[in-house]
Amino acid sequence: MKPIMLHGHERSITQIKYNREGDLIFSAAKDSQPNVWYSLNGERLGTFVGHNGAVWCIDCNWDSTKVLTGAADNTCKLWDCETGAQIASLKTNTAVRTNGFSYSGNLIMYSTDKTMGFPCEIFIFDIRDGSQLQSGNPMTKVPIESPMPKITSAIWGPNEEFILTGHDGGDLNQFDLKGNWIKGCKDHTGQINDIQAYKDYSMFITASADQTARLFDMETFEPLKMFKTERPVNSAAISTLHEHVVLGGGQDASMVTTTSTRIGKFDARFYHLVFEEEFGRVKGHFGPINSIAFHPDGLSYSSGGEDGYVRVHYFDQNYLDFNFEY
Amino acid sequence: MAAGRHDSESRKSRESESHIDDEDIEEEEEEPSFSDPEDFVDDVTDEELLHDVLKKKPKPSDSVDSVIIVDCIPQVGKDRLEKLKNVIKKLFSKFGSVVNTFYPVDEEGTTRGYMFLEFSSPQNAHEAVKMTNGYKLDKTHIFKVNHFSDFEKYVNIPEEWVPPEPKDYEDLGNLRNWLMNKECYDQFSVIYGEGEKTAIFLNTPEPTKVEERARWTETYVRWSPQGTYLATFHQRGIALWGGPDFRRIMKFGHQGVQLIDFSPCERYLVTFSPLQDSQEDPQAIIIWDILSGVKKRGFHCESRSTWPIFKWNHNGDYFARIGEDTISIYETPSFGLKDKKSLKIPAVRDFTWSPTDNILAFWVPEQSNTPARVTLVEIPSRKELCVRNLFNVADCRMHWQKSGDHLCVKVDRYKAKKVENKDQVKYSGIYYNFELFRIREKQIPVDKVEEKEQVLAFAWEPVGNKFAYIHGEAPRISVTFYKIHPNGGKVELFKTLEKKAANHLFWSPNGQFIVLAGLRSMNGVLEFVDTQDMTVMNQTEHFMATDVEWDPTGRYVVSAVSWWGHKVDNGYWLWNFQGVPQHRQPLEKFCQLQWRPRPPSLLDESKVKEIRKNFKTWAQKFEMEDSTRKQTASKDLLDKRRTLMEAFREYRSRKEREFGEQKKIRLDLRSGVDTDELHNQEDNFTEETIEFLVNVEEKIVEE
Repeated sequence: MKPIMLHGHERSITQIKYNREGDLIFSAAKDSQPNVWYSLNGERLGTFVGHNGAVWCIDCNWDSTKVLTGAADNTCKLWDCETGAQIASLKTNTAVRTNGFSYSGNLIMYSTDKTMGFPCEIFIFDIRDGSQLQSGNPMTKVPIESPMPKITSAIWGPNEEFILTGHDGGDLNQFDLKGNWIKGCKDHTGQINDIQAYKDYSMFITASADQTARLFDMETFEPLKMFKTERPVNSAAISTLHEHVVLGGGQDASMVTTTSTRIGKFDARFYHLVFEEEFGRVKGHFGPINSIAFHPDGLSYSSGGEDGYVRVHYFDQNYLDFNFEY
Repeated sequence: MAAGRHDSESRKSRESESHIDDEDIEEEEEEPSFSDPEDFVDDVTDEELLHDVLKKKPKPSDSVDSVIIVDCIPQVGKDRLEKLKNVIKKLFSKFGSVVNTFYPVDEEGTTRGYMFLEFSSPQNAHEAVKMTNGYKLDKTHIFKVNHFSDFEKYVNIPEEWVPPEPKDYEDLGNLRNWLMNKECYDQFSVIYGEGEKTAIFLNTPEPTKVEERARWTETYVRWSPQGTYLATFHQRGIALWGGPDFRRIMKFGHQGVQLIDFSPCERYLVTFSPLQDSQEDPQAIIIWDILSGVKKRGFHCESRSTWPIFKWNHNGDYFARIGEDTISIYETPSFGLKDKKSLKIPAVRDFTWSPTDNILAFWVPEQSNTPARVTLVEIPSRKELCVRNLFNVADCRMHWQKSGDHLCVKVDRYKAKKVENKDQVKYSGIYYNFELFRIREKQIPVDKVEEKEQVLAFAWEPVGNKFAYIHGEAPRISVTFYKIHPNGGKVELFKTLEKKAANHLFWSPNGQFIVLAGLRSMNGVLEFVDTQDMTVMNQTEHFMATDVEWDPTGRYVVSAVSWWGHKVDNGYWLWNFQGVPQHRQPLEKFCQLQWRPRPPSLLDESKVKEIRKNFKTWAQKFEMEDSTRKQTASKDLLDKRRTLMEAFREYRSRKEREFGEQKKIRLDLRSGVDTDELHNQEDNFTEETIEFLVNVEEKIVEE
């Protein structure tokens, strides 16, 4: 399995995402210029120029017409996907950590960091309402007050019913569109680095600094499965094709300089979704994997690392033929 | 402390008050009457008023500890008393200033043959008693020196001896219960969670937990040499655990205990604590009887030698320690010095017991013109069995083979020696000799093997006649094997394995198989070698491994990354003797793994031979058992997977039904576009018919 290397970023990758059809890959990095690529051959389609700081999060709506990015320059920007032109720039008090389009693409949400005396907040805008974007007055604003720790990852729930948030301390919470808290749980003991939903939004996988990834029921937060590693997990994704999950992570980026790549364990690790058994690893990155994603058709996957590379892997036939005995 | 400070402060304030009073008195012209009124009752005790002064009041017992009695001194008349006094004074003033002497005399003025002597401090008295008891003044006068306080002690001993109350017998169960396991699985202890948790596992194909306790020990644990007891360390002392459910069998109170050692027979326990040692009652090292829990004898720890300070012989009859120019051998169960005197060996550096016989080996370095030598002594006869003189010796290391057949003395020899500022001796051109003593052969012949390169490790095959050592400098490190042919045969170079990443050698307890390990700095490279034909069975690695341990039967090897040595990826891996991985167990903050030792086999040699002869039938039986176990194991795994899969499928079908029910909501949200299937989007296609003219041709149709 020879990966396609996407050289387009000068600094570590923060998040990568496929669009719904899987023909495009969106990548955000700490170098303030998100890129969009053809997933088939790794050719770069273009960049979104305008941010002035590390870009922490990126998302694309369902019909691949708009792109949303959030950055440490205290803005969340909406772009036209086809032309790369900026549609709107929403000013915030602190860095934008997470964002996302709703199922319909009509709503966007983003969350901000708790720094410089400002609280962590969730914002929801209706992008059909031009006045909201222009004035910066959101449809809903949800302050996350202590003792609840700040949000480190968030996605939309099914059918835009609620927003699912993962927090610094390992908590998971649901908030409805009015900003009311619905329910929460705390199964993880470390920061939730990533949340990714299954294709039908009935379950989701979390990646945590407590060296595990867990599968939860979206509705009830019932813990379904747990995948253990020996390193912090930065990202986890569920295959749409097989009952497989892939985990990416590795030794903490700040400690990597003192350790070799072997000790860092920067491999992407494949587990069976149901049996929780590891069955394969993919080497390649020479820093921790920060973001990992399956192609919607499940025939390839991509990983973005602290080393600044995005690697697109098309699975070999023997992966597709491989079956667990049961 | 706080109380003391308070005392002195209150005293100070009281002093200043009284000072003011004095001045007042001076100023006043007329002295008032200070006498108590008639009816005054003094109800304030001295204790209350003057407790600080009273504290300093001498007690009659204070000086008693500094007084000694010297008995068996010559009985002399008045005329020679002065001379006697001088002799005594000269002798005892060495130990400190003599405050007082008293010579009881009879009516005629003749001394009574004993005298009292007071030193300025009890320490001096103690020293004097220790050094002069048994002092030979002349042939007829051997001093008996005692503490004065001892007299009281001995006077108070009751006339009649009362036998101690017998303790009730407590059934501890079968202490060797773990050996009854039908499959002969071994046990091992594991400390993890930063030392918080201790567990005992049974080495079944997937290790099973036998027992786990939180905070079982404060530092680490140790098994007794035959595996009967598990010793745990606590601030207050040592506890021993055993039996089927690991009940506490005995505890030994020794404050601040740090190191322990068992006698090979498991009857005695030696404990060492750096705290608490008094001159009179040695407490640094204590030897205990394990079964009764009674303290047998305490020792001081004078020298800074390495643990174990006391080395036991093979069956626990003797134990010995090295002193300056002496080796002191003690015997059990009396715990007295053997033959009442130590072995006098000037400048002796180190000694070891044979692991199977009552033979002691020691070595003495070069002194002026006499060469260094290694001597083998038989105990208790103290007969020298063998003496080997060695020249140009910088250092020696003695290695006994476990079966006691051979002794190897690794000699570091030098080509030139330079003495720098007195004691600093600098050797140059070091090379190495192995002096090989054949203990079982007549007159103990000695062979010699030379090695030019630096020797990093040495190990005997525990059973058999081979030894291995690591030599060279990184990256050109080699492992060399030698074979000793018995009965006067030669010592033969067997094989050298070149370019190995190894710094430790681990022989199987039954010989033949060896693990070459490059631990810690060498990243945990492991190599499993069969020394019968020197095949490398497996070359592998447990990254950053810090420890390697064979199980007591030589069937399995454990490699481990201890949290004590390395902070990440802690855990242990189990291999079989061929280096085939059996089980990998990552464990949070894992510290230490120790196999539970087994006592020597009860089978006699003919039985062992018989078993060897019928090896094939046994092997067949075991292989059968193994394969059935494997089948059930894989069946179990498949069953487990099947149930998991069924449960998951059920969950998914429920979810898919719900998903289907919500289809309308989804369609509404995406303005009627169905995106449920990735490539199933026929609904989106609008059919367009494009017509264009391709060609116009005019043709006249004829009739």
